[in-house]
Amino acid sequence: MTELELELRDLAARLDLPPAPSLAGAVRARLARRRRRRRVLVLALATCVAALAVALVVPGSRASLLRFFHLRGASVTLVDRLPQLTPRRSLGTPIPFGKVPFRLLLPSGQRPERVYAGDGGYWLRYPGLLLFEYESAAGATILKKAAAGTDVEYVRVRGEPGIWIGARHALYLPGGPPRVAGRVLIWQHRLLTLRLEAAVGRERALAIARSVR
Amino acid sequence: MQPPGEETLVERARRGDLAAFEALVLAYQSLAFRAAFVIAGDAADAEEAAQDAFVKAHRALGRFRRGEPFRPWLLTIVANEARNRRRTRGRRAGLALRAAAEPQATAEDPEEAALATERRERLLTAVERLRDDDRDILACRYFLELSEDETAAALGIARGTVKSRAHRALARLQEELR
Repeated sequence: MTELELELRDLAARLDLPPAPSLAGAVRARLARRRRRRRVLVLALATCVAALAVALVVPGSRASLLRFFHLRGASVTLVDRLPQLTPRRSLGTPIPFGKVPFRLLLPSGQRPERVYAGDGGYWLRYPGLLLFEYESAAGATILKKAAAGTDVEYVRVRGEPGIWIGARHALYLPGGPPRVAGRVLIWQHRLLTLRLEAAVGRERALAIARSVR
Repeated sequence: MQPPGEETLVERARRGDLAAFEALVLAYQSLAFRAAFVIAGDAADAEEAAQDAFVKAHRALGRFRRGEPFRPWLLTIVANEARNRRRTRGRRAGLALRAAAEPQATAEDPEEAALATERRERLLTAVERLRDDDRDILACRYFLELSEDETAAALGIARGTVKSRAHRALARLQEELR
């Protein structure tokens, strides 16, 4: 073994490896769930075939069956278990309102307390409300993972598609680790995609979304 | 070294014994996590990759060839999952050295210790600057201490290629250190 190889071996012993988590419980639970699901599937095969046929015709049903929701610039997947989440870091660099290269959409036309540039878009901070706007037409995409059973559904905001997520979930912004996010409404508005996060219910969130101009 | 009774556990797991499969998970969860971590570079991704790998391995047990060792077969699945996450993430957080060395019984000269730490940091930085495939092969061989067969399985390459790839990766690492 060369000196370099010996140094690599020595390095291995000094790497900061996080302690291995115990996976057995989670794997067992997933396999048991899968087994139960399979039994149910076998019993209800005829029903499933019919449901699948319906799902393939109706796009909304298809998405929920596949546990996948998609908008231009945003995707939500329902997963068995959320990944480890880190709290939100800073929102980015504070910038003057007038420096944003496109016209920001504002709830009820009101200016935010602060605007931050970050994560491929702009964060608008209001008291108790956070709005993120980005040009989804440029290819930017945010991903979300929500635990199975979370209230996730397609909605419409002034005729354009949106997704409502009614509980805590994981948010993946380009290049970052998964972060905790609360109740969120994401919707398209022409070339922009908007993401509203606030501790409000679905109807209130939709009303705020409809008020942007 | 294979844990005792592995073949029996695999066989029982194939027949649907979940407790037997759980014994395999317990035996290999640490290796699976470490392998996923050095590839994906992120603890949450590594945990998810290792967990998904076990679930997929269970699903694929029917295709597992009787009498073959379980470890390299599992490593193939783990490494695939970890690489997929790294690709999705588009960026990989780097490995780091443990923050502070534990006080040694045989106290090193402080200056020598500092120099050694600096050398290790330089080496790790150079490893992190390598291309993914070079870093992966060095991680398999030297960080995880996998055999050539296991490395070949984990990286999905022919056994005969392992040596030449590792040799090439070491040469590139040497270049980085210059």
